[in-house]
Amino acid sequence: MLVGGLAAVLVLYPIAYLVQASLSVGDPQARPPEAYGLDNYAGLGRYAHIFGNTLLVAALATALAVVVGFTMGWILSRTNVPGRAAFEQLMALPYYVTPLMGALAWALIASPSSGFVNQIWRALGGDGHLVDINTPWGIAWVMALFEGSVAFVMIGAVMKSMDPAMEEASQVLGAGRARTMLRITLPLVLPGVLGAAVFVFAEMLGSFSAALVLGLPNRFYVVTTAMYQLVSQYPPRFPTAAAMGVSLFAVMFAMVWIYRRIVSAGTYVTITGKAFRPRAMDVGSMRWPFLGVCVAYLTVAVILPVLTVTYASFQHLTSAFPRAANFTLVNYQTALALDAVRSALGNSLLLGLATASVGVLLMGFLSWLIYRSRLPGAGVIEYLVMFPQAVPRLVFAFGMLWAWLIFPIPIYGTLWLLLIAYLTVFLPLGLRTISGVILQIDRSLEESAQMCGATWGYRLRTVTMPLLKPGLIAAWLLLFIASVRELGASILLMGPKAKVITPAIVESWFSTSTELTAAMALLQTLAVVAALVLLFAVARRAVQQGGE
Amino acid sequence: MTEPAYPAVTRRGFLKTGALAAAAPLLADVPLASAQSPTRNVNKVHDFQTSADVAKAEQEGEIVYYGHDGEQGIATLLDAFRKDFPKIKTSYVRLQTGALYAKITAERSAGRFGVDVLQLSDISPAIDFQKKGGWEQYMSPEYAAYKPEYQSTPAGYYGLPGVSFSGISYNRTKVKPEQAPKTWKDINNPAFKDGISAKLATSGMQHAQWYILRKMYGNDFWQEFAKQRPKGFDARAQLFDRLAKGEDRVCALAEYAGYTLYQDKGAEIEFVAPPEGMPAIAIYIGVVNKAPHPEAAKLFVDWALSRRGQLVYQNQKILLYGSLRPDAGPMPTGKRLADFKLLFPTDWTDYVASHPVFVKEWNSIMGL
Repeated sequence: MLVGGLAAVLVLYPIAYLVQASLSVGDPQARPPEAYGLDNYAGLGRYAHIFGNTLLVAALATALAVVVGFTMGWILSRTNVPGRAAFEQLMALPYYVTPLMGALAWALIASPSSGFVNQIWRALGGDGHLVDINTPWGIAWVMALFEGSVAFVMIGAVMKSMDPAMEEASQVLGAGRARTMLRITLPLVLPGVLGAAVFVFAEMLGSFSAALVLGLPNRFYVVTTAMYQLVSQYPPRFPTAAAMGVSLFAVMFAMVWIYRRIVSAGTYVTITGKAFRPRAMDVGSMRWPFLGVCVAYLTVAVILPVLTVTYASFQHLTSAFPRAANFTLVNYQTALALDAVRSALGNSLLLGLATASVGVLLMGFLSWLIYRSRLPGAGVIEYLVMFPQAVPRLVFAFGMLWAWLIFPIPIYGTLWLLLIAYLTVFLPLGLRTISGVILQIDRSLEESAQMCGATWGYRLRTVTMPLLKPGLIAAWLLLFIASVRELGASILLMGPKAKVITPAIVESWFSTSTELTAAMALLQTLAVVAALVLLFAVARRAVQQGGE
Repeated sequence: MTEPAYPAVTRRGFLKTGALAAAAPLLADVPLASAQSPTRNVNKVHDFQTSADVAKAEQEGEIVYYGHDGEQGIATLLDAFRKDFPKIKTSYVRLQTGALYAKITAERSAGRFGVDVLQLSDISPAIDFQKKGGWEQYMSPEYAAYKPEYQSTPAGYYGLPGVSFSGISYNRTKVKPEQAPKTWKDINNPAFKDGISAKLATSGMQHAQWYILRKMYGNDFWQEFAKQRPKGFDARAQLFDRLAKGEDRVCALAEYAGYTLYQDKGAEIEFVAPPEGMPAIAIYIGVVNKAPHPEAAKLFVDWALSRRGQLVYQNQKILLYGSLRPDAGPMPTGKRLADFKLLFPTDWTDYVASHPVFVKEWNSIMGL
């Protein structure tokens, strides 16, 4: 009850302020509002095209991300594709690449005039441009690659926890590989896929960087970029922005409702008392095309963007055709001299560690509460914790700003506030990742332990937690990386002595140059990868020492 | 750079109208008592004058600065100050003027006073902040080097550490010489449709340009511009980044400071100073009321307005604000403000009142 109550407070406290702002019809800057009304909602009609744009790119990106996530998840979890273990590790890489870095990279690759592909095309005698990333398809492509990679982690965790006996039985009974995948694998991992789809769609509704970098050049606004402009302008139009944000709740509620309906309509248990060892299917000669799919995905999602951004970071003014005079180290000199990179990067890593560690405990417990406890109102908690996903974090941050400004404990402007903010906005991420696995674990396992006299704590430690391990590790990783690359909530909540890195990088894109921004984004990515490598090395060593 | 084809004209409009002094009617409801400021001792530190207690400022040991410039620009400014006063640490928050002003007003309305120095790029929030009692009235001895019209009304709330101005810029490889824009009217040349950019922001320079050219060419001027389907971006760096790479052919709001940065990088761009003149705006800096480090804040404002600080504002290319001090010397480009024909709004009451109309029209022009 206490944890559920805490989650409810974390979410509802700022939302109350957000709803209040959306109903403000007096001076848009006055806090508290001078007068209340529905004018801001009534006026949203003039932004219908922006809502349409948002739904279009979110739907395109979600479809793309889920198809890619499922395909890659299936290939790497259920088939004997060569280099499976290595690819599985590499698949996390797109998530390390911040959406801004991905968008910058693809802008450099495929902008109509200066994109490398188009420069080469014209140099070869072509006319105009061959590709144009500044389109809804281009935005959805980048969003799916860099923000949709979470779908692979979520679906992959579920697939790993699936007993292969059912797939084997299908094949023994004469079904082919494709039929087995469609009729057995897909239905069994449906909660995970749906959870990922709901989550990714909501994530795409709140996506900012790709639409900012790639949409603005074509006058293509989505809700987040429009809201960003509304609150950045003078005078800031908070009430309109808040009404836009709150109106997205309706979309999110519909998504959660659909998810719960599907999940409650069937059983998706694959982990029962019967022992199993996850085994890969032998897909024969199809291994090589599958390998090609993995390589192609990693090329467009990691290798090409990272190489492009690296190249740009050493240039004065990026061009597809290298000239010695255009190479420079000045972008790195400037980036490393900036306080935003030095102290902010340290703060970001520290916050990532804290958010992931506290978050896994909090969200793991919440998942258990929602799906395992028989607590009355547990379903309501699920709706509550999905709220932050429904509204873009930039707008949610305003609710948090107003809420925590007047909070009697002086945490405003400190890293503590950012930690609270991250734990709040990433509740849906942690919950979705962990609950996808919880739903697969048969209650009878815990009940058997209980019948054998195991206490609640002993059951949790020896039965539930080991089975949850893949989901918990995936959630920890996701929370760590999501925190380090968080942008929307941090922009407004960071104080002069509590800065984090991603807002500084976005700010650099606004106010300096693509090349300096590329250097900063690359430094951030390298720091995240280095931190994770170090963490895993320390953890592995601790486990080995514990075993000796 | 294409120079104006006549002898350079100075900031005539600005001076003639008494510029900021003309903003006095906007401040009619500011308490009269606030027009008086306590007299303080004046000391010389380095080569500038200050009424701050320097020992106390160093004891406070810190300044929290809120500003609108880019991360690199603010870092350059604060680093220069820290070199002069190594015992005073600096920290800052950087946001666009709208979000910055929203943050500081929200903090203050909640009783949190954590900011020492505020710098804004628009007169409207500066005046609003004054009305709300946000600035501390501090008569910097360095104001003596500035004309009264370059100060707040009454004096002492904020000063003007620099001026920024805009012309037109185009990419040489994308615009034929015979098509190159020469006057402001040329930004409406249909040849530039879908290839012209401007600022998306609804404050500062873009408001000034909209206001001045609307006065000059009538209300239809910007409606014609809307037909060009201009692309809007938040900052000058983005505008020039795209222009330099040929993504846009013409930039209709080309800040001189942005042009020089990209010219240094070897970008194939041209700057046009239209003969009608170039819209210009000032930036505003002052000590914040109830600052946690009041003496350090005063010292910083004195430093910023001094010739020493102005060398940073004017000579660092990432900032490149023209100085309003007569003794400031030329900019790194060899030019002084007086070498350009600058156009400031002449009726500040009308200018501030026009803002809501501007916001509505500009957002519509930009497709928002």
